Amino acid sequence: MKKKLNVVNYIVLLGATAFFVFPLIAATEFSLRAKNATTHNFDNYIWVFKQDGFKTTLGTSFRLAILTAVAVLILMVPTIVYLHLGGARWKRFIEFVCLVPLVVPVISFALGVQTAFPTFLQSTVYELSFLYVVISLPYTYRALDVGLSSIPLLTLVEASRASGASMRQTLMFVVVPTIRSAVNGAIFLAVALSLGEFTLAVLLHWDTFPTWIANISQGHILGAISLSVLALVGSWLLVLIVAIAPKSFGSNKTQEVAA
Amino acid sequence: MTTENRVSVQLKGLRKVYGDAVALENFNLELAPGELVALLGPSGCGKTTALRILAGLDTDHEGQIIINGKDIASIPANKRNMGMVFQAYSLFPTMTVLENVAYGLRVRRVDKEKRRVKAQELLELVGLGNMGNRLAHQLSGGQQQRVALARALAIQPNVLLLDEPLSALDAQVRTQLRDEIKRIQTEVGTTTLFVTHDQEEAMAIADRVGVMRHGVLEQCAPPQEIYLNPINVKVAKFVGAMNLLPAEILSANELRVFGQKLELRASDAAAPTGKTGMALIRPEQLSLKLGDGKGPASATVVSRTFLGPLTRISVRMVADSSTLFISMPSAQALQFVEGSSVDVQIHATSVLLDA
Repeated sequence: MKKKLNVVNYIVLLGATAFFVFPLIAATEFSLRAKNATTHNFDNYIWVFKQDGFKTTLGTSFRLAILTAVAVLILMVPTIVYLHLGGARWKRFIEFVCLVPLVVPVISFALGVQTAFPTFLQSTVYELSFLYVVISLPYTYRALDVGLSSIPLLTLVEASRASGASMRQTLMFVVVPTIRSAVNGAIFLAVALSLGEFTLAVLLHWDTFPTWIANISQGHILGAISLSVLALVGSWLLVLIVAIAPKSFGSNKTQEVAA
Repeated sequence: MTTENRVSVQLKGLRKVYGDAVALENFNLELAPGELVALLGPSGCGKTTALRILAGLDTDHEGQIIINGKDIASIPANKRNMGMVFQAYSLFPTMTVLENVAYGLRVRRVDKEKRRVKAQELLELVGLGNMGNRLAHQLSGGQQQRVALARALAIQPNVLLLDEPLSALDAQVRTQLRDEIKRIQTEVGTTTLFVTHDQEEAMAIADRVGVMRHGVLEQCAPPQEIYLNPINVKVAKFVGAMNLLPAEILSANELRVFGQKLELRASDAAAPTGKTGMALIRPEQLSLKLGDGKGPASATVVSRTFLGPLTRISVRMVADSSTLFISMPSAQALQFVEGSSVDVQIHATSVLLDA
């Protein structure tokens, strides 16, 4: 009985893998075709890197992503720690606020920005970061909330306070390292969202990497597919980095600040 | 390694309310420099609240907290310089044992090498000198609490606060660590407040024991005094085992039990002459003599419980069928087999009355 089940499991696994992998292989193969369609080369990839704006928009998007991730952490870690430490009566309210971005159409955000944001912010591309923070709230809230629920937060915070640490030191030295994987998850979500966000950037007329992709791919289908493959590999690398980071960086960090 | 800062602590008129529940009422306690005071009481009696108020972890209370003559009630927890050990394991999971111990020095920006030396010194003191590189989860419960103790002492605290540090440990480790805490406390000389619900623990470790009940400190005295001269019936009943014997009240300071006159100690209940009440007498203040089953003090042996050096005998009184417990050396207890008729004798001179 058990053996049979295993076989079924493998079949399902293989089927699912094929379902995901074949389109990727097909896309990769397609993106590598030469103009004459009989040989393979990297022309389409080279074409991508030669296009105007590749570096600048990618740079912009990365700066936005980093800014967003930092802002999310500064905003959300103390907030959720507070909710867990005795601000429980605010929990439902904050939870609600963090879910709102899921149901409000992005276009209303864009309109809101144009009426409510101060002009000095509207005149820079970094206004997008503020909006990315908002639209990443539903995901980052969950990630951090789950992380904090899984540790004896109150005891650790009180132990740290009794040892003489300020709240800021407690967050930096005790809380964040303890929920490092949740923090990494939140960073990853914020970064991925910022790197991939398209609608807000278009509506507010900013050039980011996603809008650049949309522009250049209109005239060159093979180039567009090469870009998708690149983007996919890029995001996998990112996942890999986030997954490995806690172990290697974590231990280095503790060594470095060792007693 | 005696610390320079031996401080006195005065808690004056503390009152703390959670919603409708009064956790602490008119709580007054003084700790002499270097003294170890244990607060003893059932759960919910306010002992932990008192400790947390001293630590600054519970705020919004009435009353004064005076350390070396200075009221620190308005100073936040992280500026009070208190070393605290918690009931729950509280080591920082991402730091090594050494980093945990050095943490208080690190947030005080003590030089790296200095804090490493100090932390190592404290690990030696708690007997874990070779465990500095381990993580918390690689230690046993007892070892974790030792590290927590070292961490609390590393900052050379004004006061050491121990909040039931042994209750998560198994019996053998608990006794061992209890004795060790006492040794370390004596060695370091830090004024210490120890909270526990375990009588034996409190009696064994403390210079003075404070018995608490319903948010009120009933009595604070050396362990022997708490046990032998409890100030009132509540303390007497809470600490150690007590027998209740029917007594006839002869005057304001005299009563009669089993035809024997005893001195009545001042009690919180006024004793009306001529009435009866229950005298409180400890099992070891009673003895047995083989008897004939007649007379006011005669009883029948119901059972014997062998407790090593002592044996506890329970007898049923012929007069009112009540059960009494008597403790005696096991060798003496051999003659009192189950079913034998005995006379109960009282060796107390003064007793408390539960009116």
